[in-house]
Amino acid sequence: MIGPRFPELLAGAQGGDEQAFAVLWRDLQPAVLRYFRVAAAPAAEDLAADTWLAVIGGLGRFRGEERAFRAWVFTVARHRAIDWHRQAARRPTDPVPAERLSERPAPDDPVGQVLEDRSTRAALALVAELPPDQAEVVALRVLGGLEVAEVARIVGKRPGTVRVLAHRGLRRLARRVEVTGLLGDVTR
Amino acid sequence: MTDDRALGPDMHPPLWFPEAALPAADQDLLEQLLEGRLDPASAPPGYGGLARLLAAATAPATPEELADAQRTMAAFAAAMRSHPPTLSPRRTAMPRTVLTIKAAAAALVAVLSLGGVAAAASGLLPDQASPVADQASATTGTDAAAHGLGPAAAANLGEAADAGSADGQGRASAVGPDATGTAQAGLCRAWQAGQGADHGQKADSVAFQALAEAAGGADHIAAYCQDVAAGASADAYGQSQATVQRPPRGPGSARQHRPWRARRSPDYHRLTRPELLAAERRPSGSAGANSGRQGWSSTPTSIRPQTTNRRWTRLTAWPRPR
Repeated sequence: MIGPRFPELLAGAQGGDEQAFAVLWRDLQPAVLRYFRVAAAPAAEDLAADTWLAVIGGLGRFRGEERAFRAWVFTVARHRAIDWHRQAARRPTDPVPAERLSERPAPDDPVGQVLEDRSTRAALALVAELPPDQAEVVALRVLGGLEVAEVARIVGKRPGTVRVLAHRGLRRLARRVEVTGLLGDVTR
Repeated sequence: MTDDRALGPDMHPPLWFPEAALPAADQDLLEQLLEGRLDPASAPPGYGGLARLLAAATAPATPEELADAQRTMAAFAAAMRSHPPTLSPRRTAMPRTVLTIKAAAAALVAVLSLGGVAAAASGLLPDQASPVADQASATTGTDAAAHGLGPAAAANLGEAADAGSADGQGRASAVGPDATGTAQAGLCRAWQAGQGADHGQKADSVAFQALAEAAGGADHIAAYCQDVAAGASADAYGQSQATVQRPPRGPGSARQHRPWRARRSPDYHRLTRPELLAAERRPSGSAGANSGRQGWSSTPTSIRPQTTNRRWTRLTAWPRPR
């Protein structure tokens, strides 16, 4: 979050000030990129770049404070992720059914990485293993720093639903980490 | 957890425990985790790993994540060069059906109200509207005088009544009792109709005083009104012919049946707003400076955000990332 300087920076960026826009970008880019590592991992970098192009294109018309700006950027990002999945559905894909993917062990165990070196990428990979609706809500809340009402607006669900999805996702993640961590202890 | 530790080395617990086997998680605890307010070191048993996971997910940015800076800044600079920052109108597409339905309703309302004003002002209707307005103003003026108000207050009341009654016929004429503008033709017809007779207090009324002022004196009203009547009806007729008989614009004949989608000819606003005619005729005229497009442009933009949201709320399906 940028804080009190945000209105000034936004006005600067809308007026074409590169320095001001750079501050906005540096503040949000990691979150946007990490959101895509959860939502559309194979194309995360490209989709983040696409998102910023769209944000640049619409920047002059944006009105609002910082939370609204973040919500807007993640709305754009989510549309990019949805588009990407729609196109991915038309591409030839891995014949393994999606339900079985969670049963397949990851080649390099993300849980082990998280527990040992706290790798950000590994943590995001674990979030991405959640059922899609839970992963989306957890990513928007944790990575985007958005509140329940904002996430509800973005994903088009009721706030109560968003809250439940987020809690279920966290519980599932907690089990995943604990169980796999224990397995590691047992087999070691 | 201690139960799990009791598993033998060859026994594997299920990867996902059933929901009931979970430690009953406090909602507040989960909210704290979601908002990054829980320190992994102080997380309760069973949530330490999760807290560490979320802390890792929100760790400070790495240089790798900001590697795209130059490319993004170049894109920003290029966009600012090609589209200098201006407050350009929104040009996002919106669903066609919503546009046409709403626009049709707006067009219908606008045509009804503007058309009535145009007809009344250009003398195509029998003289009802303007004389009524004049009587209203005359009555209000005399009433005010009878109630002991000063002449200035009476004139104000008269003007207010005049503006109010004219406004009741359509928003386009809400410019006030301007005898050189909206009310010009109507006033002239009323004046001509009452010439020679002296029922009422026509010559004394505020409206006719305004007319006299516009004409440059009570003696010049006759000549002034002759010009006005001849000019206004001839122009309005010619323009209505031009607008109605415009040839079809090529093969898209379906568009011809949707008049609200047709582009306005430059003469359209002159036809619907006679004061623009007057402004053109007078060299110092400024009545038509902001001709009435705001009614058209405000309708689509005001409904756009809702339709955009509704459009996306259906797209909640999110296939699993591969």
